[in-house]
Parts: sequence; structure tokens; C-alpha cells
Amino acid sequence: MANRRLILFLVFVVAGVVGVASGLFGIGGGVLLVPLLVLLFGFPQHTAQGTSLAALVAPVSLLAFVNYANAHEVSWTVGLLIMPGVFVGGLLGGKLAHKISPRRMRQAFAVFLFVLGVWQIASAWMLHPNAPH
Amino acid sequence: MYYAGVVVMGLVVGVLVGLAGIGGGVVLVPAMVYLLGMDQHMAQGTSLFLQLPPLGLGAMLTYWRNGNVDIWAGVMCAAGFFFGGYFGSKIAIQMDSRDLKGAFGSFLILAAILLWWRSRPQPLEKKSNG
Repeated sequence: MANRRLILFLVFVVAGVVGVASGLFGIGGGVLLVPLLVLLFGFPQHTAQGTSLAALVAPVSLLAFVNYANAHEVSWTVGLLIMPGVFVGGLLGGKLAHKISPRRMRQAFAVFLFVLGVWQIASAWMLHPNAPH
Repeated sequence: MYYAGVVVMGLVVGVLVGLAGIGGGVVLVPAMVYLLGMDQHMAQGTSLFLQLPPLGLGAMLTYWRNGNVDIWAGVMCAAGFFFGGYFGSKIAIQMDSRDLKGAFGSFLILAAILLWWRSRPQPLEKKSNG
């Protein structure tokens, strides 16, 4: 694998771009990273998901989080209250996923995100153009 | 009552996360904005805060046991995320809250398209299952 180093460098660059989106929108980044590893680098689907999860085990959003915290844009109480729910819910959902076609589930989720995105754009720029926020 | 609602909301989002195999932030940010009436910046900062602990560790270990983790690519991704996130958050903080909300909506649509794409049956997936 003579190209291995080059590929790893390119993965770093792509992850850097995804990281900008991650800090910009306060999200984990796996939602972009997994499809990009598959489409750009030809990772098998399972390896892309496993690699993305491995990267996110490290507190990668630390620098972004510190910037938000310095700007007083973190609600500590709500954050702490949501953590256990997401953890337990994630375990339940993971078990449930074996009983439902994951493909159908992802498609339903994609439609859900699409509708949510349209709603966010509408409520930000169209519905109340002069509302103070 | 409010706090009980927050815990239940986390649970529901968690189930969704486990089902779809996707990070929680993309759902949690709109949930905090619309259900808790939080400001867009505050919701994003809180989302980053609650993703600091390795919530996906258990899931990652199951992939690891099946040999589905490219560890060096993972390290490179983590490094890219770390520095990229610094610049992204700098841009976000100086943006107007409403523009940020609209940009987030655009991002959700992009994520939805990528997710739909990924949900097509893939030959590699079939091979590893068979």
C-alpha cells in the first residue's frame, strides 16, 4: 500500500472540512463523515461507520465547545439532563434496530431530516422576517 | 416538569439515534430550538457539550470486534475534526442567530440527501452479510 500515507492525509483534510461544519452547526459530524468515507475513499459501509465512531470516542469537539462556552452559549443543566437519556435511548434503539429493516429506517429518518430542514429555513428566513430573535 | 420533559426528550432522541445509527446533534439541535424554545447558538453549544463524553463507545466496540475499524483513518478523522471544529465555531459565534438557523436548515437538507443515498442497497454490505 504505497498510497496509504496519501490516503490518510486526504482523510485528515476531508475530516478537517467536516470538522468546520461540525463546529458551525454544533453536531457530531458522523452524518457527513460516514458517507464521505464511502464515496471518496471506497471504505466498506461497516468500516466507515466503525471508523467514524472510533474518531468520535475522542472529545474531538472540545475546541469548538470551548469557543461556545466562552461566548456563554452553553446550557449546562439541559446538557446534563439530556446525556443519560440519549445514552439509554441509544441502547434501546440499537436493539430495536435489529427488528426493523435499517434501510427503511434510514429512509424514514432522511425524510424526517429533510422536512425539519425545510421547516428551519422557513422559520428563519420566511415566516417572521421582522421578528426579533 | 420542564426538567422531566428534557430527560424524556433525550430518551426519545436516543432511541432515534440507535435506530438510524447516526449522531444525536443533528436531531438534538432542532429539538432544543423548537421544543425547549432555545436560541440557535445556545442549542448548538449545548449539543457540543453533551457530545464530549464518548457516548458511542459501546457501539464502536461491536464494530471493533468485527474488524470494522480502520484505526489510523480514525485518528486522522479525529485530528481533522479537532482543528476544523475550532474554525467552524469561530464562524458560527459571530453569525446572526437567524442566519445560523437558516444555514442549519440547509445543512439538514444536505444530510438528508446523503443519508438517503447511503440507504440504497450496497454490494459491499451484501457481501459482508453473506
